[in-house]
Amino acid sequence: MITEQEVKDLLGSGGYIADEAIATAVFLAIRMEKPILIEGPPGVGKTGLAKTLSQVLDFPLVRLQCYEGIDEGKALYDWEYGKQLLYTQLLRTQLDSYLSVSADLREAVERLSAEESLFFSMNFLVQRPILRSFLSEKRSLLLIDEIDRSGDEFEALLLECLSDFQVSIPELGVIEARAKPLVILTSNGTRMISDALRRRCLFLYIGYPEFDREVAIVCARFPELCETLARQMVEFLRKARDLNLRKPPSVSETLDWAQVLSILHATRLTPEVVANTVGAIAKHQADMQQMTELAQRELM
Amino acid sequence: MERIITRFVTALRQRGIRVSPGESIDAVHALALGGVEGREAVRALLRLTLVKNANDLPAYEEVFDRFFSNSQPIPQGLVAADLLSAMIHIVEGEQLKADIPDKHGDDGPTLTVDEEVGAEDLKDLLGLEESDDDGGGPEIQVQLDGYRGKIEAPKPSDYYMQGPPTVAFHQQGDQKTVPFTAEELADMQEVVSRMIVRLRKDVRRMKEKQNRGKLHVIRTIQKNYRHDMVPFLLSLRRKLREKPRLVVLCDVSFSVSHASRFMLLLLHTLHNRLMDVRSFIFNKELAEITELLRNMPVNALLETIDRGEIVNLDDNSDFGNVFLIFKKKHLENMRGKPAVIILGDGRNNYHEANDWALEEIREKAGYMLWLTPEERDTWSRGDCLMELYGSYCDRVEVVRDVNELSLMVEDLFRNLCTDQPRRLARDLLKARAEEPLDYRDYYTRGGSGQPPALDPQGRSHW
Repeated sequence: MITEQEVKDLLGSGGYIADEAIATAVFLAIRMEKPILIEGPPGVGKTGLAKTLSQVLDFPLVRLQCYEGIDEGKALYDWEYGKQLLYTQLLRTQLDSYLSVSADLREAVERLSAEESLFFSMNFLVQRPILRSFLSEKRSLLLIDEIDRSGDEFEALLLECLSDFQVSIPELGVIEARAKPLVILTSNGTRMISDALRRRCLFLYIGYPEFDREVAIVCARFPELCETLARQMVEFLRKARDLNLRKPPSVSETLDWAQVLSILHATRLTPEVVANTVGAIAKHQADMQQMTELAQRELM
Repeated sequence: MERIITRFVTALRQRGIRVSPGESIDAVHALALGGVEGREAVRALLRLTLVKNANDLPAYEEVFDRFFSNSQPIPQGLVAADLLSAMIHIVEGEQLKADIPDKHGDDGPTLTVDEEVGAEDLKDLLGLEESDDDGGGPEIQVQLDGYRGKIEAPKPSDYYMQGPPTVAFHQQGDQKTVPFTAEELADMQEVVSRMIVRLRKDVRRMKEKQNRGKLHVIRTIQKNYRHDMVPFLLSLRRKLREKPRLVVLCDVSFSVSHASRFMLLLLHTLHNRLMDVRSFIFNKELAEITELLRNMPVNALLETIDRGEIVNLDDNSDFGNVFLIFKKKHLENMRGKPAVIILGDGRNNYHEANDWALEEIREKAGYMLWLTPEERDTWSRGDCLMELYGSYCDRVEVVRDVNELSLMVEDLFRNLCTDQPRRLARDLLKARAEEPLDYRDYYTRGGSGQPPALDPQGRSHW
């Protein structure tokens, strides 16, 4: 039986520095077999958490990227019409001989419909991500990414899958999950997710990390970077987040910047260094200017 | 443990957080699993299972701290007299020091009193009546008066949690800072949701039509290669249409505050559901509130606006300046050709008109609509620049009440989203045209609605 501290250590071994809330969420999701809905600004490691988890827990990752207009044909299953047709074509001679025994048309139809299940079987089913993760022999990790991009209809579709871990296919009946996957849903909060879906999930909000955790994240990813520089960087970025920028720098920007600085072998932050590398943390022209000005003010 | 959780959930609900029974069962299950130790872990655990909305997180933290604080439990079997004396103690500035029972453990106390619990909370307990004739009375009286002035029918959650300072001193005549009452909010929500239902039907029809274009022959053949060119999968040419974009500028100065309130609520509901909306509010300055609308509960946002934290409400509205700022800061990054709606009375308080800025905005916009609460015959009186500004707009509409505003907006949405004719506006205009024209209201038509006083000398008022 796994405990919360073990989850934290496990994530740490995968290079993901988790705080109390994240570790508890993962622990509960594993133990209670409930999906986690993660919300937060872009780039704070929502998808990263899922990837790291699949790696350290050795669950195969099944990823479903949501977009506007996604439907069950893309998320759950689809019938392979072409293959069905091909098979009927190829089996025509067999079918003829099979049906030629019957006395009249009625009997022929009955004989044929008795074999109907042949054509609506798992053979002709295209498994889309959700069904694939349900049917996997090994417990998998199902990542439903950016659920807020999809429509209301898709959310409703997920309700059955997420609460009972089953998929209803009219032709085949209810298919239950072989091993209940660990489900992670992420959302950037561009649209309100319905309460019905929220109720079925544990809700985890990941915001920008605290100072120490962010430094630890940088140090874990880029051990070659000296810690004073990491501290300086994080401090600068935390100030930048208060600036009312169009796209505030997130953890992913912190890591990008750390990489840039480690390639450049920088040892400490100066206004010049910031001005040269600001492209890694600012994504708009106006933001760039604000950040260079901040560097002038803070680092002189 | 179940009882503690139930009480905690009750406390959360009183604070306005919606927690379903299923979620509290989850919380109990989660706690029963074990493996979670320490205050912070429990805090995280309960947060994960009980709170499902990022907006509720601060309130949750507050309730958690209060509920599991270093509270001093009061023994069970309280009598009213004890409570009263406790209340008096608090009112008189002394801290309550009750005995802490040592055997009760976790399940013991059913009632906790700490320093943060104010006198008005005690009023609710055990059906205690407020006492107006003995010690401690006057102060409680003052606070209760505060409530009465503030809200007509306070919900339990309102007077339970609100700290005395914000409630106790209510200024008379400061009506505009009162946020929506619950009924008002419900009314508006209903108007809006009815509108959305109506709109959604049209939008869906439009979308179906969009997908029903002509056959895309080449792509259909490509798609059906593996089916031996038997066209199982059709590929249709799509009539591409972008998600309609809308930019709304809302005057929040006192003169139009009611209309802009409704407008904000409308935007809040519509936001991202049907279209891409960028919303701004202005008085003398201009501020974008798109993000805030997305992330804040509407009442909290309105309160923030009313406190003047977003734009200063003490200034007089200055349309010229606002257009100038909008042109400088936001016109460049307006995508597509959005429809621009401006809500305001066009009273510029004798500032610079800057109508050229409006003209430039018009050039970038696909459509420009001005909604004003004032009647046409006052448009050029005093400091009103409506005639001037109106000449740049595609349409200027007078909206007299909430219903007309919602019809107007619905109409615009329909216009943008679908190819439907403007059904409702037509009806509205027809209804107005059919208003019986009475010769007696010739002077007042479209004005105040009051018939002129009869001439004392008995002349006809012709």
